[in-house]
Amino acid sequence: MKEYYLGIDVGSVSTNLVVIDEACEVHYSAYIRTNGQPLDSVKKGIREMKNSLPSDIKIKGVGSTGSGRQLIGVMVGADVIKNEITAHATATAHVVPDVRTIFEIGGQDSKIIIIENQMVVDFAMNTVCAAGTGSFLDHQSERLGIPIEEFGAMALTANRDVRIAGRCTVFAESDMIAKQQFGFSKAEIIKGLCEALVRNYINNLGRGKRLEPPFVFQGGVAANIGIKTAFEKEINHEVIIPKHHNIMGAIGSAILAKEYIEESGAKTNFRGFEAADLDFEPSTFECGGCSNNCEIIKVEMDKRVVAMWGDRCGKWTNL
Amino acid sequence: MKVSFPYMGTTVVYKKLLELLGHDVIMPPKPSQRTINLGVKYSPEFACFPLKVIMGSYFEAIEKGAEVIITSGGHGPCRAGFYEQVHQRILKEEGLPAKFMVFNSMFRDFNNFYDNIITLKGKNSWLKVSRSLLLVYNMTKKLDKLEKQVQTIRAYEVKKGETTRAWEKIQDLFDRAYTKKELEGAYAEGKKLLDDIKLIEVPEEKKLRIGIVGEIYVVMESSINMKMEELLGNLGAEVERSQYLSQWITYNAIPSFINKTHETEILEKGGRYLPIQIGGHAKQTIGHIVDYSERGFDGVVHLMPFGCLPELVSQSIVPKITEELGIPVLTLAIDEQMGTANNTTRIEAFIDLIKGKRAKKIS
Repeated sequence: MKEYYLGIDVGSVSTNLVVIDEACEVHYSAYIRTNGQPLDSVKKGIREMKNSLPSDIKIKGVGSTGSGRQLIGVMVGADVIKNEITAHATATAHVVPDVRTIFEIGGQDSKIIIIENQMVVDFAMNTVCAAGTGSFLDHQSERLGIPIEEFGAMALTANRDVRIAGRCTVFAESDMIAKQQFGFSKAEIIKGLCEALVRNYINNLGRGKRLEPPFVFQGGVAANIGIKTAFEKEINHEVIIPKHHNIMGAIGSAILAKEYIEESGAKTNFRGFEAADLDFEPSTFECGGCSNNCEIIKVEMDKRVVAMWGDRCGKWTNL
Repeated sequence: MKVSFPYMGTTVVYKKLLELLGHDVIMPPKPSQRTINLGVKYSPEFACFPLKVIMGSYFEAIEKGAEVIITSGGHGPCRAGFYEQVHQRILKEEGLPAKFMVFNSMFRDFNNFYDNIITLKGKNSWLKVSRSLLLVYNMTKKLDKLEKQVQTIRAYEVKKGETTRAWEKIQDLFDRAYTKKELEGAYAEGKKLLDDIKLIEVPEEKKLRIGIVGEIYVVMESSINMKMEELLGNLGAEVERSQYLSQWITYNAIPSFINKTHETEILEKGGRYLPIQIGGHAKQTIGHIVDYSERGFDGVVHLMPFGCLPELVSQSIVPKITEELGIPVLTLAIDEQMGTANNTTRIEAFIDLIKGKRAKKIS
C-alpha cells in the first residue's frame, strides 16, 4: 500500500486538489471552478478523487491553502493550513530548485516572490488593482469576443506593436477602444493588452525589487502564451512555466503537509473521503455585542459547532 | 466644560488629566465600524484614513454631549497639520459647532500654548496642575511598562486571549486610580495579573521579535490596524511599537538643545537615509527600522494610511535599508477596508519568511 499526501488550494476562481507521493510526484490532480461555492467544490473534488484513485490508497497528511484555507481546513481535517505565498514558493522551489523569482498571476490576485537559496526573502501581493490580474484579461476577452483559451496564441500572430495604457483597467479600456478605431487588428490589440498587464504587474509588484533569473511563471494565467511572451520581452530573459503551473498552490500545501507529518511523526487529522458526505454547515450571524456588528462565521458539523471566527474582539473565536 | 479628544491608544491617560483638573470628560467611543462610516461620509474622499476615523470620533463625541475638543496640531509638510482646520469646518457645515483647543508644540507658539493651559487650568491652583501632570505622566510610564510586558508575553500564552483580557482589565484599574497611592496599587495589581498568566516555555533562540513602525495613529490605535499587535502575538511573535505615549510626551516636553530622549537617537539613525524632516513620521519610521535592526529584531511591520505621502517616501527607502542591513520589512497600507484575509495572508507569509530565514528553508 502506497502512502500519499493531499493538497487543497481553495481560491476565488478555482479549487484545486492534488495527491502526491513520497517523492512529491503528482499522482492525481483536479482543477474545479469554485463558482463562489468553496464547500461544494471541495466536496465534489473529493468525490471525484475517490472514484479515480485505487480504493486501498492511504492519505498520510493533508494541507490546505488559498483564501478558503481555514474553512476547508476544518472541513477535511487538514494537518497544515498555510498561506498561499508560502505554499507557492514551496512547490516552485521543489520543481525548479534554483529559482530566484516567481511570478504568480491568478484570477483575483497576483504575487511576486523573491527567493534566495531556496528561502523566501521578499514578496508582494496585489489585491487592490485588477489591472494586473487574470480577471482583467477575462473581461477583455469577453469584450473582444475571443475565448480566453485562444487569447495568447492570437497575440503571437500580431504584426505591429500597440501600446495600451496599463495603469488602470478603466484607462486600458478606453485606450483599447481608441486604438481599435485607429485600425489596429484584434490580434495587435490583444498583444498590447498582454504587454499592458505585464507592465502593470512589474511596476506594481516588482517595485524596488531586484529581479534575478531563473524566472518561473505560474498560476492560471501562465497558460496564456501571450503573457509569457510579454514577460520575456519586458524582462529580456527566458521565463520557465512549470508543467503543473495552475495547481502549484495545492502541490505546495501537499508538500508542506508531508514535511510536517515526517518531522512531527503525527497522525493525520484527515476525516477521510467521507468528508465529502459530512453534514457540514457554515452559517453567519451578526454579533451585535457592540457597534462593530461583526459578521461571525459559525461552522457546524452534525449540529455540533466546530469552529467560529470573524469577530474582532475574540468573544466567539476564543469560546 | 464638557471636553473630548481623539481616540488613540490608551485613552485613559488623557481622560485622567482632564478629570483631575475638574473637567467633565466625554469619552469618545472606541472606533468601530460606525465611527468609520461616519468619518468616511463626512470627510473629503482623498483625505487620509486617520483624518476620517478621527472625524467619526468627533461626531460620536459630540452626539454624547462634548462641547470642546482638545487635540494636537501638526507641523511640517504633512496633511495632519490641517486636520483640526478641516475637522472644524466640516463640523460647522454640519451644524455642530464644537470649540477646538489645539495644542501645538510650546516651543513654536508659546502664547497660544499658554492660553490653552490657562483655559484648562480654570480655577485650579498651579500646585494642583503640576501634581496632576506629574501623576498622569507617571501613569503613562507605568501603563507603557505593563503594555510592553503584554506585548512580550502574548506570544507565549497558553490560553489564547488571556493576555489581552488582562490588559483590558489593567486599563480599567488605572481608570479608577486618582491618587499616587491608588496608582501604585493599580500598577501592583496589574503586574500581578500579567505575572500570573501561564506561558509556554520557548527557548531564547526560537523567539521572534517584530517591530511595528509607521504613522502614529495607525500604529497606536488597534481598532483600525486589524489589531496588528494581537495578530502578530497570536502567531508567536513578540512585538514592540515605535510609539509609546510616555516617550512622545518626554520628547515633546523637553527643549531640543537638551533633548537626549530615545526619539532624538531615532531621528539621528533615520538621518542616515533621510537627512531632512519631510513631515509625518517618515524620518522616525526609517530611524526605528534601523534601530530595530541594530537591536537584533527579526523583522519590521510598517503601517501607513493608504496614500500617506511621508510614509510612501519611507516605503521607497525600505528596500535600500533591507539590502544594507538585512532586516525584512513588510509594508501594509491601512484604509477603511475591513476584510482582513489578504493582510492575514501577508502577515503569515512574512512570519514564514522570518522563520525560514533562520531555518534556511521555506517553511
